[in-house]
Amino acid sequence: MIEINGLTKIYGNVNAVDNITLSVRKGDVFGLLGPNGAGKTTTIKMLTALSKPDSGKCMINGFDVAIDPYEIKKHIGVVPQENNLDRELTAYENLLIYGMLHRVKDKESKISENLKMVDLWDRKDSSVSGFSGGMQRRLLLARALIPEPAVLFLDEPSIGLDPQIRRQLWDIIRKTRIEGRTVVITTHYIEEAEVLCDQVGILARGALIALDSPYNLKSSVGEYIVEHIDAQGRLIQNICKSRDDAHEIAKRQQSSVTVRKSNLEDVFIKLTGERIE
Amino acid sequence: MITAGWYPVFLNEMLHFKRRLLKLGYLFSAMVVPIIYLIAFGFGLGKSVRIDGADYLSFLLPGLVAMSSMNNSYTWVCNSLNLNRLYFKTFQIFVQAPISSSSIMAGEMLAGMAKGLFASSLIIIVGFLCSPYFSLSLIFIMTLLLNCFLFANMGVIIGMRAKSHEDTATYSNFLIMPMAFFSGTFFPVDKLPVLFKTVIYILPLTHTSILIRKAHMDAEGTFSLCILIVYATVFFIYGSKLIREYSE
Repeated sequence: MIEINGLTKIYGNVNAVDNITLSVRKGDVFGLLGPNGAGKTTTIKMLTALSKPDSGKCMINGFDVAIDPYEIKKHIGVVPQENNLDRELTAYENLLIYGMLHRVKDKESKISENLKMVDLWDRKDSSVSGFSGGMQRRLLLARALIPEPAVLFLDEPSIGLDPQIRRQLWDIIRKTRIEGRTVVITTHYIEEAEVLCDQVGILARGALIALDSPYNLKSSVGEYIVEHIDAQGRLIQNICKSRDDAHEIAKRQQSSVTVRKSNLEDVFIKLTGERIE
Repeated sequence: MITAGWYPVFLNEMLHFKRRLLKLGYLFSAMVVPIIYLIAFGFGLGKSVRIDGADYLSFLLPGLVAMSSMNNSYTWVCNSLNLNRLYFKTFQIFVQAPISSSSIMAGEMLAGMAKGLFASSLIIIVGFLCSPYFSLSLIFIMTLLLNCFLFANMGVIIGMRAKSHEDTATYSNFLIMPMAFFSGTFFPVDKLPVLFKTVIYILPLTHTSILIRKAHMDAEGTFSLCILIVYATVFFIYGSKLIREYSE
């Protein structure tokens, strides 16, 4: 569905995106995981024809983004990281303009369906400026789904949301996946990447440093982590291949220890020596 | 029903315009500058001035319509596009939609024209109330439409090029302000020194001011019309190009 080959974007002296090559299968939820400034948003902007790459190629649904941006735009929906709803307009007007721009045939029914999906139907005639952050994120998602896109791009969709709203958003993303859409999501939330994604690409300083399913990435590190605080107050982590190994190490520690399953942040730390957040 | 690509861009701006209109402040701000000029120059200074044998008010009113249509078509598009692109990021939804760059250009331009025509119509109403000699000819209406078209296109160009909202004020000071004062709004351009006059004749509002006062088309009017059409076309093409090449 999506093929990226040698994608590079340079701002000044900085390689914001550095020679990324990857592919996303149709119907998958693909996650780009990395800290702020890793190049996730720049990658999404290039895939959605908002930013022109300095080199490399992006193909979506068989079309080259650089050559056929018009064809690409017919098949994508975008939830940007920066809220770009028109705050002066109502929720309904925002979706109406978006539906017209994407030449949606049955706009009224799609708008009502999507506003109900994100629990904003009763606020359809309210100005967006009065909406909370969570309501605006939900409205952005409802807007992106108006043209029923084959590929949905979500750039940090749950940033700043409370856990309850975040889970509601995840449910909607899972539903869109069931409907057969391909989803590309950027996040720096470990849990988000783990619960939603079939494949995860880990980005650091613009480069793709790992690419696999969350399970395989975690297995490559070791399934269990034993943590304890040493005499100098530092967090010491031991990576173990099995639960028995983890308990063996835990027994040997004199201070209190925590045994937990590994997560994608452990993968990131192992690969870069840094934390994601 | 499927709509043409320019329409949602235009509608988006018109929804904002409708909200502005409901606030009385907008009406006053659209009218206050030309009304001040009308009172100061038309009723004050104008009492003792005659141009080509006619009273000054008859000379001033078409010039004020030209100036007001320029200001409103240009300023609204330029500010709105610049803010929407740099701060609110709502311009980006147009770029990511399956519509052509010329559709975005046309939608923005038509919105600018609508606002320019609205502000001009207020001055025209005042003109009918203040001067028994004020009238609308076909040349007047055609020139007004062309002027709104031209300066709305220029608004898109500056809105796309300005790197910050403060930059738009700089462009305005160097382009719009000199035209408002020297391009024939308040006095005929041929009264200026030769060297200065040559520069003023390059500016598009000068040709609007010439054409809008013509009762019948003559060689000078035809020349000014051609200049305005060339400017408007070049601005439209260049504005479309800037939108097409937009990249963050």
